[in-house]
Amino acid sequence: MSEVLQDLVNRPYKHGFVTDIESDVAEKGLSEDTIRMISAKKDEPEWLLEFRLTSYRAWIKMEEPTWANVHYPKIDLQAISYYAAPKQKPKLESMDEVDPELLRTFEKLGVPLHERMALAGVAVDVIFDSVSVATTYKDKLAAVGIIFCSMSEAVKEHPELVQKYLGTVIPTNDNFFAALNSAVFTDGSFCFIPKGVKCPMELSTYFRINTEETGQFERTLIIAEDEATVSYLEGCTAPAFSSNQLHAAVVELVALDNADIKYSTVQNWYAGDKNGVGGVYNFVTKRGLAKGVNSRVSWTQVETGSAITWKYPSVVLLGDNSVGEFYSVAVTNHHQQADTGTKMIHLGKNTRSTIVSKGISAGRSSNSYRGLVRVGPKADNARNFSQCDSMLIGDKSGANTFPYINVRNNSAQVEHEASTSKIGEDQLFYFAQRGIDAEAAVSMIINGFCKEVFQQLPMEFAAEATQLLGLKLEGSVG
Amino acid sequence: MINKESKTILEVHGLHATVNGVEILKGLDLTVKSGEVHAIMGPNGSGKSTFAKVLAGHTAYEVTAGTAMFEGQNLFELAPEERARAGVFLAFQYPIEIPGVANSQFLRLTYNTMQAQRGNEELDPLEFDDYVRDKMKRLEMSPNFLDRSVNEGFSGGEKKRNEILQMALLEPRLGVLDETDSGLDIDALSVVAHGVNELANKDNAIVLVTHYQRLLNYIVPDFVHVVDNGRIIKTGGKELALELETRGYDWVGVEHQAANLATVTAGAA
Amino acid sequence: MSRVTSIRRPPAGYIETLLAEQPKLPTSPLMGVNQLRSKAVDHLATLTLPTKRDEAWRFTDISALTKLLFQPVSPVISLENIDVEHFYLEEATTRLVFVDGVYASELSIITEESGVTVVKLPSADATHAELIESHLGRHVDLEDNVFATLNTAFLHDPALITVSRNTAVIDPIHVLFIATQTGVASYPRCLVAAESGSSVTLIEDYVALHDETYLINSVTEIALADNARVNHIRVQRDSGEAFHIANCSVSVGRSSNYQSVSVALGAKTSRYNLNVLMDEGAECAVDGLALIADSQLADTHTCIDHSQPHGVSRQLHKCIVGGKAHAVFNGNIRVRQDAQSTNSKQSNGNLLLTEKAHVDTKPQLEIFADDVKCAHGSTIGQLDNEEVFYLKSRGLSDSVARNLLTYAFGAEIIDRIPIPSLKRKLEQAVLEQTSLLL
Repeated sequence: MSEVLQDLVNRPYKHGFVTDIESDVAEKGLSEDTIRMISAKKDEPEWLLEFRLTSYRAWIKMEEPTWANVHYPKIDLQAISYYAAPKQKPKLESMDEVDPELLRTFEKLGVPLHERMALAGVAVDVIFDSVSVATTYKDKLAAVGIIFCSMSEAVKEHPELVQKYLGTVIPTNDNFFAALNSAVFTDGSFCFIPKGVKCPMELSTYFRINTEETGQFERTLIIAEDEATVSYLEGCTAPAFSSNQLHAAVVELVALDNADIKYSTVQNWYAGDKNGVGGVYNFVTKRGLAKGVNSRVSWTQVETGSAITWKYPSVVLLGDNSVGEFYSVAVTNHHQQADTGTKMIHLGKNTRSTIVSKGISAGRSSNSYRGLVRVGPKADNARNFSQCDSMLIGDKSGANTFPYINVRNNSAQVEHEASTSKIGEDQLFYFAQRGIDAEAAVSMIINGFCKEVFQQLPMEFAAEATQLLGLKLEGSVG
Repeated sequence: MINKESKTILEVHGLHATVNGVEILKGLDLTVKSGEVHAIMGPNGSGKSTFAKVLAGHTAYEVTAGTAMFEGQNLFELAPEERARAGVFLAFQYPIEIPGVANSQFLRLTYNTMQAQRGNEELDPLEFDDYVRDKMKRLEMSPNFLDRSVNEGFSGGEKKRNEILQMALLEPRLGVLDETDSGLDIDALSVVAHGVNELANKDNAIVLVTHYQRLLNYIVPDFVHVVDNGRIIKTGGKELALELETRGYDWVGVEHQAANLATVTAGAA
Repeated sequence: MSRVTSIRRPPAGYIETLLAEQPKLPTSPLMGVNQLRSKAVDHLATLTLPTKRDEAWRFTDISALTKLLFQPVSPVISLENIDVEHFYLEEATTRLVFVDGVYASELSIITEESGVTVVKLPSADATHAELIESHLGRHVDLEDNVFATLNTAFLHDPALITVSRNTAVIDPIHVLFIATQTGVASYPRCLVAAESGSSVTLIEDYVALHDETYLINSVTEIALADNARVNHIRVQRDSGEAFHIANCSVSVGRSSNYQSVSVALGAKTSRYNLNVLMDEGAECAVDGLALIADSQLADTHTCIDHSQPHGVSRQLHKCIVGGKAHAVFNGNIRVRQDAQSTNSKQSNGNLLLTEKAHVDTKPQLEIFADDVKCAHGSTIGQLDNEEVFYLKSRGLSDSVARNLLTYAFGAEIIDRIPIPSLKRKLEQAVLEQTSLLL
């Protein structure tokens, strides 16, 4: 029976191909000159160069964090190239001008760049290595006042908005990887939903790492003004290289009064092979500021890829009655390591947060939930509900739960639930005794286990996530 | 319900089985014919639950010797799911919980799997709903058990009812009930027993594995077997259970040893 | 015994002072009892009283208790039924009454109901010897627990109840402990042995005829063999000046089911330790309510110890705290390495009615198995202003609205008591007390 389970988990990574496309890759290494070079290449205003340099100067004084429950050799940050972009016309007038090789790449990945082929109702911004190559549905969105474009374009077209919000949720010196990102970020998505506008379609960014030994440092900023709502989805893949690629992104969300931001991630970076060689180091800082009254920031993530994941999408609940949510499925197999979770910082009155985390570990992988719930002294009537479930497949994987609760106001209500379960002989025997074979049993158990999180995904992607998990875990139980 | 036309459903000979290298079953023999109800009793650790799991094919147990023929097929050549599809049903002592999977969904999947196996029509969710509700009524189960996750948060009694419900849906040829009575109060016991009695007919057979005589007040067995140290050491009618109740298992053990001794002595002589 | 070695014992002489009276106890006709007693006396020489430096007593200061010199009870003033019948429960056909810890046969009823054996005190019989030998002092911790050991040293009239195999006892058994004297220490003791396949309901009830100071130091042991069910209701309504220290240890056998509801209303300082040891496939539901005001302190420590697989436990503990009272809840769920497939859920809700009321709550999960489901939640809150406003908008006065909501918070526990007359009495008590709490 264990072989069936192993086969089930060990389906090959289908996004592991490399696109043969001419790229402009910067020299390896990082210094103030590298930063000036990136800034110059992107023709950036002086304030942004200053922002980068300030971040860089903070970063060189910082130490790489070691508290996470992950183990990897020290990354040589001087052996990485900080800029890579497909050689193409500097600015595209229409989709037809995109390099056909690139279009084929994304078609192969199932990302629709041709608007006529696009999934109904999804606008896509595509980031290839470090730069945004295409954004669909821009005009339609502009008609209702929504700005959805690459960060580089936003810096040029809407500098006042970028300057007003960039680095306000995650300060440049927040942590080692966020500081690094602030110094060297190359592109990313920018999204602005003006007052009173409900975004008429799902917005989506698709990230692709193509070049070996490149760091990917994208920067995303989403602002929802009063009464605005938006649902946003990011997807990530990378080729299978035997070296490790560093991905250190920063995502900032700002929700003003009564605004609602829902951010979903399906992360399927290359995870390395079954012996743990290669794969992406996914060290990401994501934080939402529920700034206004009654605002809501909701994170949903399905994390199946990356050799190492280090990621804590958080919500700062500043506005009274604001709501923070975190729904996560993290799957690890072989030698993957994940240390992921969230922080809910309750500062305003009557703030509420919900955390639902589902970790599945197979093979020899390690999967940790790390979460902080903090209730500040002025946060009267704060409520938090946390549920952390771990599922072990086989007996060589590990799961840990590290919930930190820090309550400074005694009107708080904090609830925590945790479970550890297993897919092992007894579970499969029960199904078999009812005539159901192991493959169907595993798929049923896993989908049941993740149900509460999948329900949070936009409909178009829920099916994709279910399938992704099926592929990931086919054959893994023993 | 013993009758002349009854056919042999299960025939076990000289069964030995180990778990983690430790021998638990040491030469167990049992023949079960259609229309019969057998009770297998014994103290904790005697091997009676192991026997139930070995019949159903639990992978933790290794059969080291002996045979088990089920309606002419060698049971030990079949995978656990094939045994189930052939008509061997095990009601678990501790049914597993499956969070996030609705009971209705699970019941329909197992039911349709069995229907497909038997060449019968599968039921769509609406048809199945009517079908299962009727079965649940007989077991005094509230329909809201359909919407809850399989066994999750069920009380001990509710889990046992859910097992018998599955037996009612799957209509096995051989129903093996592993300690179905343990943890049940009198009311729940009588409901579960009633459900089992309704399912017993002249074409199928039931094997009750139990520690207590109490269940046999409700489901009257044709045969009572006492298992000790991995073998059946005594077989009798329903009155044997009552005797066990008053005299305890030690009594059979002592008597069995005495009998063995007598045999040995006789042999020596 | 080398008593001189225990030099670090604070405050000097408290245990000795109590023990000085111990030899005056009449010899029990039950041999096992006498043996247990003398063993406990010897063992006390090695024990010390806990202080706030001990983790288990961090929030509960018993220094006030140790400053008082409690006397042994005087010969019992005989009570008439009429004095105490308002404590009786109509559903209970078996009633054991203890006055200041001494068995009162004239107030008790022991029916010859089939299947239940209640040892009639004083009495000596071989069957009791068997019961005492296998259960008395076997479930409670007599190693480190100084109060349980003291109780054992003073053991005289234990309530001994056996329910025989496969017997379902329908009517509840009421064990009533009445305090009548002031300044005395009494040592109630209760043992219930539920044999395989049996079921029984036990009501353990502590009441007082006055409002003065006294000490109750009680021990209850409940042993469930396989497939048994015990419903245990515990009501502590001692005098508001009393000290009440209780230890209850329960062993839940294979596939057995233990349900308990404990309600603490009285005592100036109360401490209830409940330890439940769970065998394979055992289920338990442990619920509690502490309703306190003024300067009362109610401390509940529970430990549900899953030692074998497939156990299910559920716990809901609530505290309603008024005045400048202090509630403590420490709920430990232990899942040992062999206890796979354990399912455990614990919740703790606290309602603080005043600024000065406070609660210390500490849920603890200790899990050593890898296939388990454990949940715990804790809330501390005041009455929801929205709810108060809603009721006021329907014409209720502020105080009535608050009383009603407070009552509803506690009623969730009281509703779980399966004895209608007791439920009514407690509901009444809660209603009366809630109006005093604010």
